[in-house]
Amino acid sequence: MKFDHDVIVIGGGPAGSSFARIAAAGGLDVLVIDKRKEIGIPVRCGEGLGRTEVVKEGLEIPKRCCSVEIEGSKVVAPNGKEIVWKNEKTRGWVLERKIFDKWLAELAVEKGAKVKTYTRAVGLLRDEKGNPNGVKLSHGGREAYDVTAPLVVSAEGMEALMAREMGFKTVHSLYDVDTCYQYEMKPYDHENLIELHFGAEIAPRGYVWIFPKCDRKANVGIGIGGNVVNGKKCDGVDGADPKKLLDGFIAKDKQLKDASTLIDFGGVISVGAPIDSFVKDSCMVIGTGAKQVDPIHGGGIAVAMECGVLAANAALEAHKSKDFSAKLLYENYEKPWRATAGKKMEKRLMLRKVMEKISDDDFNHCFNSLNSADIAEIMKGNFAPSVAKVLAGRPQMLGALKGLV
Amino acid sequence: MITIKHEGCIFCVGCSSVCPVNAIEAVGTRMKHYPERCIDCGLCAKVCPASVICLKKGVKPEPKTGD
Repeated sequence: MKFDHDVIVIGGGPAGSSFARIAAAGGLDVLVIDKRKEIGIPVRCGEGLGRTEVVKEGLEIPKRCCSVEIEGSKVVAPNGKEIVWKNEKTRGWVLERKIFDKWLAELAVEKGAKVKTYTRAVGLLRDEKGNPNGVKLSHGGREAYDVTAPLVVSAEGMEALMAREMGFKTVHSLYDVDTCYQYEMKPYDHENLIELHFGAEIAPRGYVWIFPKCDRKANVGIGIGGNVVNGKKCDGVDGADPKKLLDGFIAKDKQLKDASTLIDFGGVISVGAPIDSFVKDSCMVIGTGAKQVDPIHGGGIAVAMECGVLAANAALEAHKSKDFSAKLLYENYEKPWRATAGKKMEKRLMLRKVMEKISDDDFNHCFNSLNSADIAEIMKGNFAPSVAKVLAGRPQMLGALKGLV
Repeated sequence: MITIKHEGCIFCVGCSSVCPVNAIEAVGTRMKHYPERCIDCGLCAKVCPASVICLKKGVKPEPKTGD
């Protein structure tokens, strides 16, 4: 059978565009479709990105994609105690996501990939064996048409509806998501640090973040557990109401209470484990759709870019050997991902599950016992020294912390 | 059944990500609900960060005539 393309990618975010850039550079005919009218819009993100991840990819991010350079982070405990940690590894940017995403898509185009916006996958095509061999597309709701390829990649993000049609379990439970509301605000004078504010009253099972941006602006947002019940919603439904909590935080903050809002945005973030399988015969899921998101900070850009590259190498290998089996895709994409990024993510998930169980008082005790060097070790996945310090002053926390040792 | 107050919707697709039956999807510039698939579980309403999804309990969509 003659195909229209070598690979079709559904979704033009960081995962899809990174995949397309590497696959096209390797000589494949790549079609990327994105159902949005414009790549990168709407933004549903805090927009933070670490420098180390990008350096690893060998990319130089143009200045126009970066709102501000950040040096590190400031974490604020429920009792107000602050820990600042900054070093070479905590440097990064707060991006202008809409410009950044478009830049990544343009890089893919420059390597030869074809990108089509406002084009939605409305169905999956399958061969006689039942394996995907194309997608049914519609441009802006117009009459659907078929496009074929021996490999179909879902880079759909949180929705991942085509991935579900491929048979992947991409539906999220309320427990494994954070529901988030965010404003871009001005003026806010900051220290080029990402601020995270913890506390059961501020943000149950989550935190408020303040990500600095250029020209005295900041993304001020909140994420709380999707299963949290803190408000009555439409028609009296009990559920999570992050906006109410965020507005409460802002009203009490000296700087923010008088600041303007320039953008209302938000989203639902995956903070659980990655899905149990990323590949099937003739198809793969990459990025947020595969729940490849850091469960501690909800960051998905770097992970998505990294897995896009791995999956593209798997696609190149598949085309070279004319073998699109799940086995080959697993060996070249899923297996190396789980051995590297996947391992790191497992540790982050353990940490999340411990953090969500400890009370504000215990949280304060942790902060009184730890310093910035300890936090840096925790973020690296080295928990034992910090656990020992915390337990020395409060042995009764052993039950809560035993998951980390 | 659910109704979406589109005016306050921030188009984050969170509702779609938790819907177990693919009954809600971003189409064009707004969320589209497919009542024929919806099982009225209310997960979308619980998770919606903007609280714009309303769930009226016990009210099923009227069957369309001619379907």
